[in-house]
Amino acid sequence: MPLFALVGFLVLLAFGRRIGDPVAGWIGTLAIAGSFVAACITFAGLSHLPSGAREFTQTYFTWISVGGLHVNAAILIDPLSMTMAMFVTGVSMLIHLYSIGYMKKDRDYSKFFVYLNLFVFSMLILVLANNLLLTFVGWEGVGVCSYWLVSFWFERDSAASAGKKAFIYNRVGDVGFLLAMFLVFSKVGTLNYLSVFANRHVLAGGTATAVMLLLFLAATGKSAQIPLFNWLPDAMEGPTPVSALIHAATMVTAGVYLLCRMNEVLALTPDAMWVIAIVGGVTAFVAATIASAQQDIKKVLAFSTVSQIGYMVLAVGSGAYIAAIFLMVCHAFYKGLLFLGAGSVIHGLEDEQDLKRMGRLRKWLPWTYATFLVAWLSIAGVPPFSGFWSKGDVLTNVYAKSPALWALGVVTAVLTGYYMSRLFFLAFYGKDRWKDPVPGGAAHHSPHESPWVMRLPLVILAVFSALAGAFDLPWVHHYDFASWLAPVFAHSLYLDHEGTVAQWVLATIDAVMAFVGIGVAWHLWKSKVNRPELERKFLINVWYWDDFYDTVIGRPSQSLARFCAGVVDARVIDGAVNGAASLVRATGSQARRLQSGYVRNYALGIAFGTAAIVVFVLSRTWW
Amino acid sequence: MRVALLIASASLHGGIAMPHIAYLAILPEIVMLGGAILLLAVASLVRSALNVTVITVSTLVISLASLAAALWQFFDVQSHGAYTTLDHAVVLDGFSVLVTVLVASAMALTALVGDGYQRREGLAGPEFNVLAMVSATGAMLMGEANDLVIVFLGLEILSIALYVLAAFNRRRAESGEAALKYFLLGGFSSAIFVYGIALTYGATGTTNLTQIADFLAKNVVVSDGLLLAGLTLLLVGFAFKVAAVPFHMWTPDVYQGSPTPITGFMSAVAKAAGFAALIRVFVSSFGVLRVDWQPIIYALAVVTLLVGAVLALIQTDIKRMLAYSSINHAGFVLLGLEAAGALGKVGARGVSSALYYLFAYTFMAIGSFAIVSVLGGRGDAAHEISNYKGLGKRQPFLALAFAVLLLSQAGAPFTTGFWAKLQVVAAAVDANSVPLAVIAMVSAAVAAFFYLRVVLLMYSPKKFVSDQEGDRLENLDASGDAVASTSAREPLWSGSGRQTALVNELNATLLLESSPETIEVPDEREGDVVNVPVLAVVAIGICIAVTVGFGVFPAPLADFAHKASLLFMP
Amino acid sequence: MDQYLPIVLLLGLGLLFAAGSFVGSSLLGPAKKPTGAKIAPYECGIVPDHEPPQRFPVRFYLVAMIFIIFDIEIVFLYPWAVIFREIRVFGFVEVLVFAVVVFVAFLFLISNGALNWGPAKRLSEGMPSRTSDSTILRITATPSPPTSPERAA
Repeated sequence: MPLFALVGFLVLLAFGRRIGDPVAGWIGTLAIAGSFVAACITFAGLSHLPSGAREFTQTYFTWISVGGLHVNAAILIDPLSMTMAMFVTGVSMLIHLYSIGYMKKDRDYSKFFVYLNLFVFSMLILVLANNLLLTFVGWEGVGVCSYWLVSFWFERDSAASAGKKAFIYNRVGDVGFLLAMFLVFSKVGTLNYLSVFANRHVLAGGTATAVMLLLFLAATGKSAQIPLFNWLPDAMEGPTPVSALIHAATMVTAGVYLLCRMNEVLALTPDAMWVIAIVGGVTAFVAATIASAQQDIKKVLAFSTVSQIGYMVLAVGSGAYIAAIFLMVCHAFYKGLLFLGAGSVIHGLEDEQDLKRMGRLRKWLPWTYATFLVAWLSIAGVPPFSGFWSKGDVLTNVYAKSPALWALGVVTAVLTGYYMSRLFFLAFYGKDRWKDPVPGGAAHHSPHESPWVMRLPLVILAVFSALAGAFDLPWVHHYDFASWLAPVFAHSLYLDHEGTVAQWVLATIDAVMAFVGIGVAWHLWKSKVNRPELERKFLINVWYWDDFYDTVIGRPSQSLARFCAGVVDARVIDGAVNGAASLVRATGSQARRLQSGYVRNYALGIAFGTAAIVVFVLSRTWW
Repeated sequence: MRVALLIASASLHGGIAMPHIAYLAILPEIVMLGGAILLLAVASLVRSALNVTVITVSTLVISLASLAAALWQFFDVQSHGAYTTLDHAVVLDGFSVLVTVLVASAMALTALVGDGYQRREGLAGPEFNVLAMVSATGAMLMGEANDLVIVFLGLEILSIALYVLAAFNRRRAESGEAALKYFLLGGFSSAIFVYGIALTYGATGTTNLTQIADFLAKNVVVSDGLLLAGLTLLLVGFAFKVAAVPFHMWTPDVYQGSPTPITGFMSAVAKAAGFAALIRVFVSSFGVLRVDWQPIIYALAVVTLLVGAVLALIQTDIKRMLAYSSINHAGFVLLGLEAAGALGKVGARGVSSALYYLFAYTFMAIGSFAIVSVLGGRGDAAHEISNYKGLGKRQPFLALAFAVLLLSQAGAPFTTGFWAKLQVVAAAVDANSVPLAVIAMVSAAVAAFFYLRVVLLMYSPKKFVSDQEGDRLENLDASGDAVASTSAREPLWSGSGRQTALVNELNATLLLESSPETIEVPDEREGDVVNVPVLAVVAIGICIAVTVGFGVFPAPLADFAHKASLLFMP
Repeated sequence: MDQYLPIVLLLGLGLLFAAGSFVGSSLLGPAKKPTGAKIAPYECGIVPDHEPPQRFPVRFYLVAMIFIIFDIEIVFLYPWAVIFREIRVFGFVEVLVFAVVVFVAFLFLISNGALNWGPAKRLSEGMPSRTSDSTILRITATPSPPTSPERAA
């Protein structure tokens, strides 16, 4: 499976520049399509097996064998990894296809696909790995690709610094991953998931809590949760397909995946689960409030992503892994669709991202409008779209864990309906604000609909966004998502759905909340564009989170760094290094004199050496 | 040689006992030497001169056949275990197989690199390859010798052919100088070595390694000066071959002067063979005396590591720099040997780490020298480090390849160089030689500096070097050119003042005379971009593939080295 | 000190030999300082009319070396012949291998023109008409061409 992506990457790396636009894009897309087909075949094979037997490891070769550490390059195929692989390759394939149109005429066209393919390869490694170390390799791989892709237009200052920001935030998380890995290895002596699970009793107690909290730190970095969520909105500087692929559909879910993968260890530590649940709930709420005040269409979507992943983390914290994965899949569809739709809008308006400069686009971009509509209803949680089912599943489980968190989730649901509707109305209804001239710039031309390679993915994703809910309807208990994934989470304390009556009540509340949010937005934003009282500085500036980091960490460490560079480095370290270097050079020059070039001197050297050794040896015998 | 052995055994046992010969044990040698002789005979008998392609191809075939024979040996040893043959004078075990594999591969790579070199320098004829193959035979013999006499025999076969090869490029005065120095000092060290054999024989009454070990195990000698003196002299002989400080002084001069492909061959094969015999003799025969020799190895390793690294820093000639770097590498292998002196598992780990290091080093060295050879240009003279400035722009692939090999030598992760260094250092730590391990790391850090300097220079824009230093390098470059061109242009007959008559005689004697018309005046170096022969690319590619491939997936090679040390017949 | 006796003995022998050589040569050699005629070339009264050549043609050495090859072969053949009856076929094959190796070396030398006692490449001006070169030319009758460039290289 990953091989296809790797081959695509290598081919493009080698020949991409020569092939160029648009064949390189097709090659990249085909490679991913190959991965997708392979994933489907594996999936089909797996689904024929009895549910208990759907788990096997395929070892390719021994990767590292040093001391007690034996790591194989092996993949673990089970329902969880296959689900991930399916939707990663599927969504990626569509986004590749979309990029063929979107990136057209870009200077580094083939390079873009090189990165994309490498990204998918790394993501598959991450998902399919059978041990923590290999997962970490994929983890770093997607991090690096994300860095490259975010700063793809590196001529732009903001893109370059956004890339750096993303990378640095992720590194903070990675430290957690590494420490967790060391801890697991030192306690259990292996990094293989199945062996760790088999010996999980060793970890019981404080160790499990420590491991899971460290892994959760890694997950907050990759999945953009509090406290490491700020990088994601900035990462929107990358090309829109990248935002769709990496920062909505796949990479950001890696953290959630990791937590789900480690569910058997997580089950040992209720404390960590509480932390995770609370952080997830708070993130969902905070991000939703911020999203409701942003102007940039992609920023709204970015904070919406943070918020939605908050839901997933909340679900994981509540032990509802299946709900988390279910929401992840549905989210991948509709958020991918939202981003691609936004990309289509941006493309149509020639790189305009300001919501306030859009409006009444439904007339001009009918395809985009129609698909966006589906996504909007889906994310808002309107039945019978997929968002309703998946979010409902999460909230039901959260209710079982803690009604307080559930309440937070419901408020967030209202906010979700609100900010998404705000975006939708601002972009597609109202007046043709894009006609207004901007100070210092001309008005836009009439927006144009995107080419079919960009529309096709939109339609496909729209279909899935609408129908994905059918994967796991609460009243179906065979051939559904829950029973498919159940073996993976068998040992964990998975909370099943509430009783039927409660479930109906909760579902109704969800639906009502969704409509409340939409209604409020309709009322407020149908015709007006500016409502400063609702767009508080506090929200626009992301709760001053960045400023907080800047003051507390950024500035002190900068001055520390200045101190280090100016005083410690220049005087102490450089002095020591230069001193050592000149000492070595001086010694060398002296020693060089022995190297006279005369054979007789060399022979003398040998003779002296021999004599010295003989004297040494014999002197030992005399002692 | 076998006749001589027969006579020896006849006089020992009275009647003549025919030795049983397991031909498989010496098959790679037979193939290599037989092939060389056959090639020489054919080249002598055909009317017109064989062209370089034919010779290279046949050399390749012979080397690969030898390699195949070695692999056959490997499977045989794996299934049937190690054994000795030829009246216990030759041993076939995992250890010897690894050395044979190494030498045969090195030979094949050298043939690939040598092809382009011979064309460029206009050195037609089979001598280059034949001599190299003879030398390789000697190296293989050293790897599987189980008798000090055989070790010596291998050493001499290896060395004498190398002396001639060092002088192979008659148009370079340095080449003759190198050969003469190598010859004189080599003879000196061989004499010391033979003296060591004699003293050992005097002390133990045998030259057979196994019997020496038996003797030492059965007879507790409280303090036997004769034996220890013999041991020391043997060590000196080996230390000269592997270029351990203070027996290293010939290395830079000889490496610099020899034709570059031969330098690569010499650095890889002579070192591997020397270390192989050194390890076998010391670990298997003199294992009992480890308390006596371990401190010596310790001290040798320390000075070798430090001197190699420090002196490499100040070199302006890339071949000299690589020569010092090879001395530094020898220090690392000594680290493994020092650990091999420990008992039991730790010792085995030392042996396997040393073997691994040799394997990694062989490919790095041959690859590096192959690139240097290609870049040396017509006349094999453009070896100033300053010539490498901006190579990344001019010849990006070559520069990249060189960078990879140098980084590997520096011990960068994901290369065999890294794992090799890791293994020897880990082995030393296991053997409780922590200070030695620390010194090794320090030396590796210093070494990284001079490797990276070249890498930086290759990728620096024109004015990377500070003006002052740049001028200095430029001047050196200019003078280097002047020297190279005089030696290349003036035929040896005119007896340029730089060289002694003796050098000329040696040149002429060894290689027959040539008419003055054949000496072509080399063109001015055309531009800066050199032409890279395809076969050299193949050789460099193989070296890189091994270095990076086994760097990323170290398991198979480590496994091979481990097996070799397990099957090591004490 | 017993165990060092052999070393000491060897050391003594070595020193004795070195010192003995010096002493012996000074005792046996002529006591007087050499005269001018004594150090002249040829040492036989004929005054050379031009500077003697710096070096001898390399072929002289080659012939000597070829001789050594066969010399060594003979050295090996003697003991082999003595015990030939005892080692039979095996010994025969072995010595054959040895002979072939030596022979191939000889072949190589011949093919390279080591025994090509051909014409001198240059005759220096002002030399007397009868030289060793011309003498040999007359003997071999057919002058062989100078070795081809590829061959010699």
